[in-house]
Amino acid sequence: MTLSYLIWLPLAFGLLAGALPRRLIGWFSVAGSVVVLGIAAYFLDRFRLGHAGLQFRTDVVWIGALGIHYKLGLDGLNVLLVVLSCLLFCASLIWSALREWERPRVYYLHLGLAQSAVLGAFCAQDLALFVGFFDLMLIPFYFLLGMWGSGERVRATTKLVVYTLVGSFFMLAAAVATGVIASSEHGTPLTFVLSSLQHLRLSHFNQDWVFLCFAFAFMVKMPLVPFHGWLADAYKSMPIPVVAVFSGIVSKVAAYGFVRITLSLFPYAAVHFQLMMLLFALVSILWATTVAFTTPDARLVVAYSSVAQLSFITLGIFSLRPEGIQGALLQMVNHGLVTAPLFFIVAVLAARAGGSERIRDMGGVAFRAPVLASLFLIVALATLAMPGSSNFIGEFMILLGVFRTKLAVAVVAFAGVVGAAYYALRLFIGTMHNRVGPRVASREIRLGDVAAIAPLVLAILALAFFPQFGLSRSQRTVQATVASAPELFGTPVRVAAR
Amino acid sequence: MSLTTYAWLVLLCPLVGTVTIALGFRRLPGRSAGWLGTLAIVASFAFSVLVFASLLSHGAHHRQFTSSLWRYDFTAGVDARMQILIDPLSTFMILVVSGVSALIHLYSISYMTEDPGYRRYFSYLNYFVFSMLLLVLAGNFILLIVGWAFVGAASYLLISFWYRRTTATRAGLKAFVINVVGDVGLVLGTFFIFTHTGSVEFLRVFRAAPHVWHSDQGSLVAGCVLLLVGAFAKSAQVPLHTWLPDAMEGPTPVSALIHAATMVTAGVYLIARMHPLFELAPTAAYVGAAVGCATLLIAATIALVQVDIKRVIAYSTMSQIGYMIMGVSAGAYAAGLFHLMTHAFFKALLFMAAGSIIGAMSGVQSLDRMGGFRRALPFTFLCFLVGGLALSGMPPFSGWWSKDDILGTIDARGGGFIVLGVAGYVGAFLTALYTFRMIFRAFYGAPVPEARELEQGHLHHAEVPRNPLTGEEEDTDVGFPGPGHFIAEREWPMRIAMGLLALLALIGGLANIPGVWDPIGRFLAPTFAGSRFADLHPSTSSAWIGLAIGAAVAAVGIGLAFRIWVGLPAITATLRERFTAAYVFLSNKWYFDELIDLVVVRPALWLGGLISAMLERTVIGGVITGGPVGVVRAGSAAVRRSQTGFLRYYAAAMVICMFAVALYFLVSSS
Repeated sequence: MTLSYLIWLPLAFGLLAGALPRRLIGWFSVAGSVVVLGIAAYFLDRFRLGHAGLQFRTDVVWIGALGIHYKLGLDGLNVLLVVLSCLLFCASLIWSALREWERPRVYYLHLGLAQSAVLGAFCAQDLALFVGFFDLMLIPFYFLLGMWGSGERVRATTKLVVYTLVGSFFMLAAAVATGVIASSEHGTPLTFVLSSLQHLRLSHFNQDWVFLCFAFAFMVKMPLVPFHGWLADAYKSMPIPVVAVFSGIVSKVAAYGFVRITLSLFPYAAVHFQLMMLLFALVSILWATTVAFTTPDARLVVAYSSVAQLSFITLGIFSLRPEGIQGALLQMVNHGLVTAPLFFIVAVLAARAGGSERIRDMGGVAFRAPVLASLFLIVALATLAMPGSSNFIGEFMILLGVFRTKLAVAVVAFAGVVGAAYYALRLFIGTMHNRVGPRVASREIRLGDVAAIAPLVLAILALAFFPQFGLSRSQRTVQATVASAPELFGTPVRVAAR
Repeated sequence: MSLTTYAWLVLLCPLVGTVTIALGFRRLPGRSAGWLGTLAIVASFAFSVLVFASLLSHGAHHRQFTSSLWRYDFTAGVDARMQILIDPLSTFMILVVSGVSALIHLYSISYMTEDPGYRRYFSYLNYFVFSMLLLVLAGNFILLIVGWAFVGAASYLLISFWYRRTTATRAGLKAFVINVVGDVGLVLGTFFIFTHTGSVEFLRVFRAAPHVWHSDQGSLVAGCVLLLVGAFAKSAQVPLHTWLPDAMEGPTPVSALIHAATMVTAGVYLIARMHPLFELAPTAAYVGAAVGCATLLIAATIALVQVDIKRVIAYSTMSQIGYMIMGVSAGAYAAGLFHLMTHAFFKALLFMAAGSIIGAMSGVQSLDRMGGFRRALPFTFLCFLVGGLALSGMPPFSGWWSKDDILGTIDARGGGFIVLGVAGYVGAFLTALYTFRMIFRAFYGAPVPEARELEQGHLHHAEVPRNPLTGEEEDTDVGFPGPGHFIAEREWPMRIAMGLLALLALIGGLANIPGVWDPIGRFLAPTFAGSRFADLHPSTSSAWIGLAIGAAVAAVGIGLAFRIWVGLPAITATLRERFTAAYVFLSNKWYFDELIDLVVVRPALWLGGLISAMLERTVIGGVITGGPVGVVRAGSAAVRRSQTGFLRYYAAAMVICMFAVALYFLVSSS
């Protein structure tokens, strides 16, 4: 069993589904995603904890002349993200299969392609391969948004395309430059394999500008304020199962990229721009939090809460401390597990409020829908990182890391914690409690929709008891990263050293 | 079975209760959910007693046990396990918490009978008890924070239990957010402590503390003050107290359990638990003592003018917790915890009795509408009187012993602490005054129609159920709260719960008689063995002098209350006119709500409005997005004219462009 099966099976299932009769396509895709989830679980089960390096490695020379390898592998940084992706795509496909779609063959093909691209980006251990998967990921989402989106989908698609295209250009340029400059500076043959590049450090100046290019691409993708101009329209227009995986997984690819690419390849630049990144993240937390508690739209509350939480993750990564990075990696999983069910729940609520997603049109649903209310309550409390949830442990470790590097930043970031309590409960109360809204037809959640949400809620509950499950999987790799980049974690390199 | 197994079972029982009731919410018939919930807590109490008994079988110096199940957050230097700490302090707390909770569950079985949320109620109530037990049993900071936040969440759920009332949901949100502020204080305090001691386990931290900090070192004081922020938020101390009076939106047994007897005393527990740190940071301890003292006076003055019976008791809770916080901050640990226990008895009793009156008034809570219930509700009256006398500190009721124990011990420290002690006696006078104002207004005077109806054997029912706060008509769709009303005189579970608490409120103080015996202090002594204040006790004679002063102050207060509200009822109006400014100030609760609104809430909402309405549109949407997107759109207009589906062009263009760039770099490098 190699990782290639895991990566390419979703696409294969998407293609195969096209040959089936219309009504079977959806459930066939669900079955396929369950198989893929099973394979991911197999890798998770076989994953060795005491091992810091890559496991389940596949390494084939792909384009020899350019030193590009088809190299895949799992380690502490990506193993849980791979499982999370499979879980979220599975939930999303269940949700999709319960609904009718125009041109279902193309729809499911794009979802399969999206999953393949995402898994490829997580598993890739070659910079060129990573960039390839990263950009491949955009294509299915353009189509999913442009063809199945609602509302202002043309405007939304244009914005998404322009933003991510600009980001991708920068990243592509930076990736190519990394390989080329590294080989010319060190006089070695051209290579893009990450483990080789790690030993071919760029000069300080080159690290700086390459870092900035990558950082820009990642910040657009996450997104962080002020690069989030595409977010509101895109999240508003995407179909629910698509926005669930987009917010749950695609945004994580960028955060993961920060750890996998920028920290290990450009440690000098990471230290150099640490404060800048922390401030971006901090402004982003405060900005997104305040918008989340004033916006009248339920879906946008979730969207902006997502921005705030990704900013927390960025904060943890650029604390440049092991506890902060550990927390960030755990929080990526936690955030994926809460944001997807939240989007599903918003859709369930909108279906009870005459299609409107405005909080004002909702309310009072809880009495006739206790199951929905309970699921929502658990997810809402996890979203606001209530102690006792795994999200709290993630946030605790992140803020502990920041506290130990930049105390003032951590103290200000706590305003985001209080704000999260307010916006998450405001959403819960505004939709489930108070008087019944004017257009609300309150009824219990459908069993099928529970099937999409419940596995995620169960995962939230399980991780709440055992956050160590995530932490112990990542800790050896994080330790190794610490050991391999002493300038990152030891005494910070002064800017004057240039 | 071993002691630690019993302790885990103490935690497990309410958790199993919560889950069982929650999952069986459609199947459990009638009152069975209530009995199930009560059974879980009674079992928890039984295991607490077993913990207590097995602890006593160990020598006085070997009464500290830890037990851990699995690693919880054990990485990058953080060493948190799923770990509990059993010592005299935590054992004392689990006995009080599970004991009082069991009685309140029993009371609730009747009180909540006709509520449509009956099962949800007991599931939440069990969850609360689980959280509170977790809080007091936690063996490290992280689990403490988990328990701390869980009780906050349980409190939120129960405050907004009748969630169709906007007043209830708003109060719940407020309580939750203020409690999160407290959690943040606790987390930040933990950061300070962990960064210096390298551990989150209590015992390791306490062992390391004297070696890493010298007395009053800045980082320790900062850490302890941040812990105090947590304590103030949870224990409703000034200025983080504004949520507690609003929390009275919850069902009355909830007010008895959470917002009087247990949760709000968590701050007292926290300071007592952290005493090795606070003794190293005397400045932080002074802050705690001063805030406790300020709270006890402020709350007592506000209680003098409130007309909602539950809010009067709520302010009295704030005030009494002020005594405890002041006590434990000043080193009177055993005395503070003794008062915590007796207060749990008499305050739970007062709320239960108030619930009975509210039942008789069919939901009305205003003292202005009550009167003359003495004959209609004889049992409730008796209980209220016992609770009131204990609260006022009349001998020989329990509050008299415990409150004066705190004040006597504080005075024994001498110096500036005498001022705190005197303030405590002023507070005691106000306490007697507002307590008996409440009793005389509710039970004396001419019977109101509801009381007369009840005397003729008929329980009053309102034609239209209304929100007692706003007078708004209730949402009859769901029937929250239930249509039925229940009084102790007619429901035996309520009578048993109140009777037992009345008994405890009467005799609970005998557990500590100066010069005779001191079992609570002796039992708790091992926890505080290393304390600088372990031997801080007033002499027997001064303790008795203190008790005599306390009794005199209470008697004067009660006498004055009798003179004003029974002797000359007309005088209140005169007083109100004479001291209009003071009256307005007090009935607006010292304007704390307005102040917080002005300083915190409005600026935050204003900023949110500014960002989402202005900056998002102009800067993000206009400048940053608008430019590039406008260019692309102009370009794509040409494409769109010749072809549809311009998305495909984008994708193709993107792929081609990327390859072009890649090629460029590769070519230029070789």
